[in-house]
Amino acid sequence: MKTKILLIGGFNKAKSLAKSLIKKGYKVTAINKDMECCQLLAQIEHLTVFVGDGTKPFVLEDANAHNADIAIALTDSDADNLVICKLCKNKYNVKKTVALISDPKKTDFFYHMGIDSVVCAISVISNVIEQQAFLDEMATLVPIGEGRISIAQIPISQAAPVVDKKLWEIKLPKEVIIGCIMRGEKNIVPRGDTRILAGDVLVLISSNEHEVAAIQELTGR
Amino acid sequence: MGLFKTIKKQNYTIIIGCSRMGANLADTLSSAGRSVLIIDRTEEAFKKLSPFFGGISLVGDGTEILVLNEADIKHATEVVAVTNSDNTNILLALLAKEHFGVGHVIARLSDPERECVYQEFGIETICPAELSAKEINRLLSVEEVVEEDE
Repeated sequence: MKTKILLIGGFNKAKSLAKSLIKKGYKVTAINKDMECCQLLAQIEHLTVFVGDGTKPFVLEDANAHNADIAIALTDSDADNLVICKLCKNKYNVKKTVALISDPKKTDFFYHMGIDSVVCAISVISNVIEQQAFLDEMATLVPIGEGRISIAQIPISQAAPVVDKKLWEIKLPKEVIIGCIMRGEKNIVPRGDTRILAGDVLVLISSNEHEVAAIQELTGR
Repeated sequence: MGLFKTIKKQNYTIIIGCSRMGANLADTLSSAGRSVLIIDRTEEAFKKLSPFFGGISLVGDGTEILVLNEADIKHATEVVAVTNSDNTNILLALLAKEHFGVGHVIARLSDPERECVYQEFGIETICPAELSAKEINRLLSVEEVVEEDE
């Protein structure tokens, strides 16, 4: 049986999420308050659309919320998203609920309220922008744990201050670790006495606050 | 913050949302000698309070944890959520009860269908629509009785 996903609120977010989820083979239903938004959403193939306020139980009932496996609340209001997720969870026994929130300070509170996954768009986006703005040298960056931890891939150029230094000679912040050094075809799990060479690519695991400092220390930027 | 230290020990009520209902309640409680703090997003809303209101009014978004901290919500004995949005009231009530551990929380709810969200958390709700319907019903049935008597 196909996994059924319910998207509540949000127009652009719902649109792109619906498209990508349908492509991956999920059965997606969208609920939106606005008639115009619904008409535009309805143009997406295989997407079921309902008009109505998703914080009202009868609207969720119409949209078959009790059959949904995952409910994702995407409205602009934190309060609405909380109510949607609580209703889905308590009244309709949806297995997994995801809420988008705008106030990062309420993340813990939302988890405490039994919501399975809380995504704070603002903190994720601001982290990404910060990283993009300062560190254009980076090849890839994977944020995990709501963006609190990230794994970055850092190429070491000839000009970098850490070239030919041993790991214990580099002053890295405490919450940062070099997990792997990719040197040509080889992958090295480094120790304190491993020397960094020009052309190495370092895999860096770090907490968000220390990432920028660590990368500056390594690349000199 | 020094302002609040003096009222900590007494019964201290926070009302969020200076709607007509909020203002009325604040006036009543305050004239009964209770410590009252009322929060609303706009300064304008406090005009609804009576000129003799003896409590504190605080401008700010009541759903923000910072604002609630400023209101010293941890030491409140009661929190009443009467903003004009049901969902905001639910959020506020849950915040007060679960995050700040306030003992007595009351929320206004215009759509009684959402009540199931409150039930498991022991939050009291009042539903003006239901209350009015009951009252009107009472008045009507009284009239009917009178007519029958004649």
